[in-house]
Amino acid sequence: MGFSESIDRILPGVTKPVRYLGGEYGSVVKEVQPGMVRYAFLFPDVYEVGMSHLGMKILYDVINRRPDAWCERVFSPWPDMHDAMKAAGVPLFSLESRTPISEFDLLGITLQYEMCYTNILSALDLAGIPLKSRDRANGPFVIAGGPCAFNPEPLADFVDLFVLGDGEQSTLDTIDAYKQWRASGLPREEYLRMAARIPGVYVPSLYDVEYHEDGRIKSISPKKGSNAPELVKKAVVTDLDAAQYPETLIVPYGEVVHNRIMLEIFRGCTRGCRFCQAGMIYRPIRERSLEKLTDLAEKLVRSTGYDEISLMSLSSCDYSRIIELSREMAGRFEKRRVKVSLPSLRIDSKLKDTLVETLKVRKTALTLAPEAGTQRLRDVINKGVTEEDLMRSVRDAFEAGWSAVKLYFMIGLPTETDEDVDGIADLARKVVGCYFSLPKDKRAPGLRVTVSASVFVPKPITPFQWCAQLDQNTVIERQQRLKKALFSIKGVDFKYHAPDVSFMEAAFARGDRRLGAVLERAWRLGCRFDGWSDHFRYDLWLEAFRGAGIDPDFYALRERAEDEVFPWDHLDAGPTSAFLLREWHRAQRAEATPDCRLGCEGCGMKRYEGVCL
Amino acid sequence: MRALYQFAKLSRLKFVSHLDLQRFMQMALRRTDLPVAYSQGFNPHPVMAFASALAVGWISDCEILDVKLAENVSEDFAFRQMASALPPDLPLQRVRLVEDSHPAMMAALSAAEYRILLDGEGAKATASAIGGYMAQSSVIALRKTKSGEKPADIRAMTLALSEEQTEVYTEDKKQTAYSNCIVNNTSVCIGAGAEAALRATLMLTERATLKPDLLVATLAGRAGVPIPSMQIHRLRLLGEGLSGAADLMDL
Repeated sequence: MGFSESIDRILPGVTKPVRYLGGEYGSVVKEVQPGMVRYAFLFPDVYEVGMSHLGMKILYDVINRRPDAWCERVFSPWPDMHDAMKAAGVPLFSLESRTPISEFDLLGITLQYEMCYTNILSALDLAGIPLKSRDRANGPFVIAGGPCAFNPEPLADFVDLFVLGDGEQSTLDTIDAYKQWRASGLPREEYLRMAARIPGVYVPSLYDVEYHEDGRIKSISPKKGSNAPELVKKAVVTDLDAAQYPETLIVPYGEVVHNRIMLEIFRGCTRGCRFCQAGMIYRPIRERSLEKLTDLAEKLVRSTGYDEISLMSLSSCDYSRIIELSREMAGRFEKRRVKVSLPSLRIDSKLKDTLVETLKVRKTALTLAPEAGTQRLRDVINKGVTEEDLMRSVRDAFEAGWSAVKLYFMIGLPTETDEDVDGIADLARKVVGCYFSLPKDKRAPGLRVTVSASVFVPKPITPFQWCAQLDQNTVIERQQRLKKALFSIKGVDFKYHAPDVSFMEAAFARGDRRLGAVLERAWRLGCRFDGWSDHFRYDLWLEAFRGAGIDPDFYALRERAEDEVFPWDHLDAGPTSAFLLREWHRAQRAEATPDCRLGCEGCGMKRYEGVCL
Repeated sequence: MRALYQFAKLSRLKFVSHLDLQRFMQMALRRTDLPVAYSQGFNPHPVMAFASALAVGWISDCEILDVKLAENVSEDFAFRQMASALPPDLPLQRVRLVEDSHPAMMAALSAAEYRILLDGEGAKATASAIGGYMAQSSVIALRKTKSGEKPADIRAMTLALSEEQTEVYTEDKKQTAYSNCIVNNTSVCIGAGAEAALRATLMLTERATLKPDLLVATLAGRAGVPIPSMQIHRLRLLGEGLSGAADLMDL
């Protein structure tokens, strides 16, 4: 029985076998040539989630445009498929060619959130690749990138090298280095040394960590003779118009989370919200030109047949020509029945025009993120949005025909009090009041306001990297307080979740190398798909921490002194510690920092040549 | 004008459901320059229909998609446009352009021809049971319908049934790294070395349909062996023409 047949044999018994088929329109199948570099790209979550991720689409295209390399996809098999594969002795395989992952040259993994780490261990294990990098004598080199790579230390034992920052160029560089290494016939460690010289590449095994007696880090430095850089600077693509962007996409058969064209209109964000890691690590802001975007949109609509384009970025209304862009897109595609949508709307006066433009095409859900309930707390987190802004946008939206509004908040932000939590309910009440203040014939029927409150997780490379996470008991008290306050408001739905996942996320977000042992224990105890609430096993995680003799509170609940050495201090994500510390001080004084396009705030990006204007 | 497209669904995509395939074809049509006719209403969609839904897990050489066009086009244009919009595992085989008044494919359908590969315990005995089965004038079996299980004479719905040589398809055409699969226009990937193979022509109408899996289960029951594992491969869709049964595409 062939390998492909042994896969076919287990598929009828698992849920959604379409996840494992490949063969989608737009997927790339190549003839294997001698000397070709086989690159497996793992998204460590299920197909429907991974297929919605823009970064994977970009890198898939970047690699596959090379005739000498072939990138194939692999996703975490859902537990039923994982167990069926184990039972049948079927190793993890790529979708395009059904090749066992262990036969690839490079295995790239994207790290989008901390709670997917156990899935990485599952994937390595299912592929038959030794978990620890030092135990690998052959098989693919394991490379990881994405936002969590800026604090990669909990994964230091398992990953051969990390790629920091924009992957378009550095991914190609790792392939070039691989070809060079393979031709050289040198031992495996030599590839790591070669890779360590690539801009944006961090090889954890080339660094030593020393600790104080109380458990804090004393220093992290390159091993003697390793020639690894003291400070690894992230890779930055300076010109997005010149950077490669896919002109066709894979069109999945089944439903996926975001089944549409994703058009990245710019990278980076200038707002400087202090809780937001993306806003810090993707600096500086770089826009694609309107001409490039319309050209890409034309090609993508034509090549995929999608009927929706999402204008993606961290804050799409901040695109310098957003009104022109949405007018252009709406006009261009209306006749072809392609709708244009804007995710992550900011609340400001530009919104109204944009709403009217996109509404012509088709209505999309309106999501607003005030993040905090009072002006004081919004100043602490530097969310430059006032209640007036919010109410104006909501009124505009209701007048324009929306009746469903989602409001996103966080609980547990630094300096938060009960008053701030009550402020969330007040805002929701005002939103409902605004709807009912409009005459009946001027508003769409069926008001639905969803208040969603997540638990704040302090992230590395943000001004809040020094602060303690709010303890779980207080989080629960405040959730209940809010629930009670919202209960009496007609038309309001409240969504929140247990704080235990956020607590684990906080421990790993700012964790160091020692957490590798906890991770491995948790995985051996059966933890996987931890980002899925029905799979998350808090009891097993606590058991893993206990077993490893490590206290999660040390990582999640401890406020750091200003001179503490962070596990990621040898990595340069752009913003300097001095800038982040200044912002931390301002936060404590509830002092806002303006959008940096109004004047440079000295975050450190100017140290990168020709990148920030 | 309507375009009748015949395409295959190869082994790799056998778990793509009918609903997913419908959505997929709607998008595929958007990738073409075909003047597809759209339905009226709030949410317009292409006017198209399949001759028959293919069950999940089956493979086929003869699926038919019936697409309404708002303007006339040439056969060559209609073929090339659609062929370029389909992935290798849904290869387009032919197109036929017909008038709007041409009978609906679904209504004209009367039967389908299948190859059924049997494997595992009971495979050979099941195949050997066909002689006795065909000699009966009536065989009653429980057929699953929308309103529950109902007894039906499946012998009457079995228009032809014979044993076939088990062939092993060669894997020479257009080898890709997907090494166990044949990618070409006429044949689909099937497992090497099935223990037995049947060729069956079974009724497939809105009122009376016999599915190959029920036939196999009945044969196995008559032989007193467990139901073997099977791979069902639809080879032809047939319609009732003026001069008897004919390929549905040619009616």
